[in-house]
Amino acid sequence: MKDQRRFPSSKSPCAHLRDAYHNCFNRWYAEKFLKGQWDKEDCVSEWQKYRACLSEHLEDKHLSRFLEVEGTVSSIVQDDLGKRSASGVSQ
Amino acid sequence: MVKVYTQEHIYKHPWERVTSASWRKFVDPENKRVLSHILQVDTLNHRLDPSARKLYTTRAVTVHCPGPWFIRKLIGQDICHCLESTMVDAQQRSMQLSSRNISLQKFVEVEEKIRYDPHPDNPDTWTICLQETRIYIKPFSALASIAEKVEQRCADKFMQNSAKGREVMERICKYLETESTGLPL
Repeated sequence: MKDQRRFPSSKSPCAHLRDAYHNCFNRWYAEKFLKGQWDKEDCVSEWQKYRACLSEHLEDKHLSRFLEVEGTVSSIVQDDLGKRSASGVSQ
Repeated sequence: MVKVYTQEHIYKHPWERVTSASWRKFVDPENKRVLSHILQVDTLNHRLDPSARKLYTTRAVTVHCPGPWFIRKLIGQDICHCLESTMVDAQQRSMQLSSRNISLQKFVEVEEKIRYDPHPDNPDTWTICLQETRIYIKPFSALASIAEKVEQRCADKFMQNSAKGREVMERICKYLETESTGLPL
């Protein structure tokens, strides 16, 4: 145990699925989301496979909590940084 | 014992390109050498709100624990998890990221906020990045006596890493620029 360095790096069991999802997401973001196609997300099957893998392998309890609550995203970004926004979007 | 650092950077690239680069920053394999403190990034959840034209994600960022080696020894771990929440408002053209550590919260709290907005003078071609890092070492921790020093080391590390982050962002922007003007890959 002492010598075991727990560096997940690319050896993570979900690495391939993660890359596939992130590549798909990046493409969707640049080619669709930014061009006004807001109605739906692509990469559904990539996400489902990746998420299934994560829920099986994610060790950290704090992290898996966020995985369990699908669709709810922490709103920490929206608190005080939002106040500096000149856009006036109310949250 | 809270230290707050703010940084501002102007990217001479449009907001769309800069935010695309931000998503790729930690996941493109070619950045791994420069951003070697980042071990892994996992998307935990995401949500698209089509009516508000907003995208929300939560990602887990696994990093080498900052600070001197003896702290890592004391704590008994060398990797730390951070949680990063992102909101992109496509209509207002604003991206806001907020990261905080979830490991070692007994000792230290680090919160980093980044926003990317179109530059007011040049909204279609430039992007302004505001970054605020807040480091708080818990006074009641057993490490209080050396906390000052740790805090400084921690802050130095963060500044170094944000400089590296900007370097990577600039590189990806450049790449995306070439890609969009040149031949398709």
